[in-house]
Amino acid sequence: MFHNFRLSLPVTLSLWMGVGTAFAEIPLGEEGFKAKVKPFFETYCIQCHGPEKSKGKITLHTLDGDLVAGAGGELERWENILDVLKHGEMPPEDEKQPSKAELEALKGWIDQGMRDHVAKVGDVKATPLARRLTNFEYQNTMRDLLGIDLELIKGLPQDPEKPYHFNNSAEFMLLGPEQLDRYLKTARRALASAIVDPEKPKVHRQTWAFEPKGPAFASMQPDEIGVYEGGRGTISGGIGVNSWPETGEYRIRIKAAAILPPVYKEVPLRLVMGSSLRSDAGTGDYTPVGTVYLTNDVDNLQEFEFRGRIENHPIQVGQVNQKGQEPSTRHIYAQNLFDNGQLNDNHRNHFDTAWQLSVPRAVVRSIEFESPIIDVWPPEHHISILPESSLRSTDPDGYIRGVLEKFITRAYRRPASQEERERFFKIYKMLEPEFDSLEATMRETLAMVLVSPQFLYHTVAAEGLTTPSYELASRLSYFLWGSLPDEKLLSLAAENQLDDPAVIEAQARRLLADERAQDFVKNFTKQWLSIEKTKAININRKLFPRFLFLVPNGERTGQEVLFRPTIRDYMMDETVGFIGELIRRNASVLNIIDSDFAWLNEPLAAHYGVNGVEGLKFRAVAVAGGSPLGGLPTQGSVLVGNGTGSAPHPIYRAVWLREAILGDEVAPPPAEVPALSDTAGEEVENATTIKDMLALHRNSESCKDCHVRLDPWGIPFEEYNAIGQFQPHIPKNGTTVRGFRAEIDGTLEGYRDYLRTVNTVPVDSVARVPNGPEVSGMRELKDYLLKDRKEEVAENVIRRLATYGIGRALTYHDRYAVEDLFKQSKQNDHRFQDMILTICRSEIFRTPITAPKR
Amino acid sequence: MNMKSHHMNRRDVLRGGGIALALPFLNSMSWATGVVARKQQPKRMLISYIAYGVYDPRTPDGTSHEWSWYPRHDSGPLTLNKASAPFESVKDSLTYLRGLDHPGGYGLGGHSSGDVFGTGADMSGLEKTNNISVDQLAAKINGHHTRYPSLVLGSEGGTGSYGMSKTLSHYGPGQPIPALEKPQEIFNRLFRPYAGHSVNDVRARLKREASVLDLMMENYQSLHGKLGAEDRQKMDEYLDSVRAIEQRVERTSKWTHEEIPKIDTKGLNLEATYQQPSEYLRCMYDLIYLAFQTDSTRFITFMTESEHSTGNLVGNFANKLLGYTGATHDIAHKRPEGASGEWEKWRAEQHAYFLKRLRDTKEGDGNMLDTTLVLWGSAHPHESHSTKDYPIQIAGGERLGFKHGNLHNFEGKRKKPLSNLFVSMLNAVDAPTEKFADSTGELTEILA
Repeated sequence: MFHNFRLSLPVTLSLWMGVGTAFAEIPLGEEGFKAKVKPFFETYCIQCHGPEKSKGKITLHTLDGDLVAGAGGELERWENILDVLKHGEMPPEDEKQPSKAELEALKGWIDQGMRDHVAKVGDVKATPLARRLTNFEYQNTMRDLLGIDLELIKGLPQDPEKPYHFNNSAEFMLLGPEQLDRYLKTARRALASAIVDPEKPKVHRQTWAFEPKGPAFASMQPDEIGVYEGGRGTISGGIGVNSWPETGEYRIRIKAAAILPPVYKEVPLRLVMGSSLRSDAGTGDYTPVGTVYLTNDVDNLQEFEFRGRIENHPIQVGQVNQKGQEPSTRHIYAQNLFDNGQLNDNHRNHFDTAWQLSVPRAVVRSIEFESPIIDVWPPEHHISILPESSLRSTDPDGYIRGVLEKFITRAYRRPASQEERERFFKIYKMLEPEFDSLEATMRETLAMVLVSPQFLYHTVAAEGLTTPSYELASRLSYFLWGSLPDEKLLSLAAENQLDDPAVIEAQARRLLADERAQDFVKNFTKQWLSIEKTKAININRKLFPRFLFLVPNGERTGQEVLFRPTIRDYMMDETVGFIGELIRRNASVLNIIDSDFAWLNEPLAAHYGVNGVEGLKFRAVAVAGGSPLGGLPTQGSVLVGNGTGSAPHPIYRAVWLREAILGDEVAPPPAEVPALSDTAGEEVENATTIKDMLALHRNSESCKDCHVRLDPWGIPFEEYNAIGQFQPHIPKNGTTVRGFRAEIDGTLEGYRDYLRTVNTVPVDSVARVPNGPEVSGMRELKDYLLKDRKEEVAENVIRRLATYGIGRALTYHDRYAVEDLFKQSKQNDHRFQDMILTICRSEIFRTPITAPKR
Repeated sequence: MNMKSHHMNRRDVLRGGGIALALPFLNSMSWATGVVARKQQPKRMLISYIAYGVYDPRTPDGTSHEWSWYPRHDSGPLTLNKASAPFESVKDSLTYLRGLDHPGGYGLGGHSSGDVFGTGADMSGLEKTNNISVDQLAAKINGHHTRYPSLVLGSEGGTGSYGMSKTLSHYGPGQPIPALEKPQEIFNRLFRPYAGHSVNDVRARLKREASVLDLMMENYQSLHGKLGAEDRQKMDEYLDSVRAIEQRVERTSKWTHEEIPKIDTKGLNLEATYQQPSEYLRCMYDLIYLAFQTDSTRFITFMTESEHSTGNLVGNFANKLLGYTGATHDIAHKRPEGASGEWEKWRAEQHAYFLKRLRDTKEGDGNMLDTTLVLWGSAHPHESHSTKDYPIQIAGGERLGFKHGNLHNFEGKRKKPLSNLFVSMLNAVDAPTEKFADSTGELTEILA
């Protein structure tokens, strides 16, 4: 084993833990346990956590002075006890309290015992680190390996997920036969695109033209595209592509312009390509081609070019019937993505044209579709695998060996061994008689490379095949890119330079500055904050008629418009972009509690009631001190996802705050306890005060024990409604809120006046934080968190980053390594980027494996 | 479609004296041909899942509500109510079970216990990996009799994820089997397995694949020796997967010598999507029926809707059907009077359609339902997020030793694990089993 494992042990005790020197008061080990610790438990704890009662399924009476009994299992319990004491969660406030000195002494005793144990053990059971690539990593890895960006995840079984957990661990990333089967299919599909046939393929071309004359539809000419739809015969109604290649890059060129009423500066035009799932259902399956922001007028038509892979756009496969297979179909559509938050305001009927004509329209005069692109043939991605070389004819076997060696090295993220290369050479030779060409044989051979464990799994410390430097190169690139290491990292690994923290830091900076780091930010943020569920919440349209953009007529009337970015997509972008911006600015992670800017675009700004933000592009918008915005807790992704769609849900929001922000693990309610909505019956969504709801919940003693420590965290969130808006007044029970109606409201201000007449009941958002002060509303909650809980908040971000970075859960063994990271991070005011760099440099990241005795 | 040859087949079989060939009932007469004649009726199993629990309002006098999913409250002979009325003609082949569940799923929460419905795995504590499902265990033992060892279906497709399963089937820990959701794809997989290639081509390809897999195994072995002990153990999952694929290649190769059943797609709406829930479910049930009837497989699971369909375009059947404006999920909690009953009746109609098709299809001197065990239920009881007392209906299998016509209540002191039923089902389909998950024996109450 080449790992020199050493846990980083802090030299001094952490002051942040408030332990001080009091630990000396209790003698270590069993002696101290009998003299002080056991009596402490008997006085303050055993009544509820003992042989009689075991609240929260926690009992203390069986503990003895030996911290390590039960093969280390007891240590986890001791760590829990330490954390509960540290956060002042126990004993409950209405029970007998120990003196401060007693508490400090006990914390010191546990802490020192754990510290001694962790320092002593070199023989702890090692956690497996071999884990298969997550689908996210697989997608990125294939993109960088093959040089073409193919959508591959759809063909793979979905990865497991668990709220507030990262799934890139050995525990979650398992492999089964079905998975391997799909990997093989996917690899074959990808290689069919990556390696082309020698002869130039037939190019499929098609052009369409739209003239600004003809029968006007909704007062628009056939070349115009309005927000709701275009004129008859325009591209917004969909144009059918007659033929296309099975694989290849495509190019779509359009001549386009904008019609901009005064005050508007641009119109976003998006092309999508795909298919109708069923022609009469108005649904389909489309993927974006690209978006342009048009600013030029029709007298200055401009040409725009989009490129993409034809394989990434769904087709409607023809039905199989008695006559055989019907031809497949594919369509291109154009969408005017203009959105100022007013799309639903009764302008939806497209025969009522006034509003549609008052906002930006796009003009598309012509479209040209071409695929595949053969400007350079064979394409670059092909040559990077199968280079042009005279060896191919003079020494075919040498050529094939060369191709294999290069590809395997790249795929395995470290040099291919001769044995590995020869085995695939053997496979090549075995396949050769069955295929027509070198290209076809190579596709199948390389597909086998892509289902070998060396590719599918990473961080496998295979002796003699890899080195710590190569492993670190991968760990860095999968952490910050979710993909394989690039040439630069691999060459540093080859020179064995990656054991130098300064080199690691420089590389981490380089990786973070690369565009690919956006993938990390997105994947990390979504899992960390568990915001994906936001898109799944069913929104009550009686209460929030303006929130979703709905299909105005036809069979799908009243359903959300499919395949168009929704306000909830923008909410996800807001949160991911906000975290990305904090990293980019290297701002303190405490900005997640409150910040002086929000990350907004126009529709979202309109939704939150912020003026002066124009266009779809996100940007930092300064928010004043008294603003209801700032930080994560007030972002739509958090508020909507942790609501019911009709009402806020203080318990979900409390769980979110404790899990995602404070780093607690909140146990799910026990099976025998009915859910809140059941106890509260039909009224839950209309219940006017939270106190009523919680009172219902407190009927049960078993609910109360946990909920008194949970609910208060959620109550200040009550100022924000189920769609993420600041709304300190709510409608009376059972009210139906009507949407904007021009004939009644006149202006949007008029509609707001109407809402004010409906929202008459003040929200009760006052709660006393467990073991803390009373806070009124979100503003005071944020202030409290920033004042008294900031160390927990920062430690949590460190733990999340480190867990994600090393790909396994942290245990008590890592406690003091994390403590060390915390201290370093604190010196940098917990700046986000510095925090990431600190982790990359750290011992725990560089050698995350707990070394087994060999 | 050549009707004449079909009649020939049919007569041949009849002449063979009670040899069981699918004798489809009239309107599907022309659906399937080329079915291999069998010496005895195949023993089959379907597990069909409904989400969000069932409607079971409590009445003060303890009797059952007329719109309750359960036809009656306590143990006793079945008399159907309004919600279960669609089952009238197959009533004598039904049993309702109350109070069975999987204790291993208690800790998951009501919307997640669907994960273990088919497995009974212990998911308490840190366990997140699940375990082998009952259909896969049966397939492991008896899957070799048919072209496909099993078929895994679900309206939402894929595996779903921890706590949000969209499949009922698992090979083993951490190995969920993705459900198929598209009727056309399922049809092609079942009845057009070579996708237009000739059998000889297919055989040659399989032979080549087997040799390549040998080398892949060698590659794995050589890597394996260089791994640390803990990773070595973890990587066994890779070895198992390669082996499973090897076996699949072997079996596909063997089955190239058997004729593929020819199916007339007339009357099958393979285009049906989630937009038309009734048509879609009917089509999926038709495909299950065809898979059984042609003996293409004997073990099928079908998740008609997942516990998280609200977050999905596909699910939400109740909304689409009943025009209910809240989420389907909310119906499960609020149980509004009208909609809940209608929803139950609709679900019963879909499932009863399938049971009737089996019952109406002669096979040997009986019918298909006689030797098919059909489990129908949810891991989410009613009204609350409880993970206990699953609503369960078991139908068919009279010739496999099951007896029907009653409701059995196992609540309270009579509590038994649902796995006991699984043990009885496994034994009935010739997959001898003493213990499955947390079972404590057989479910003798429903055995003749």
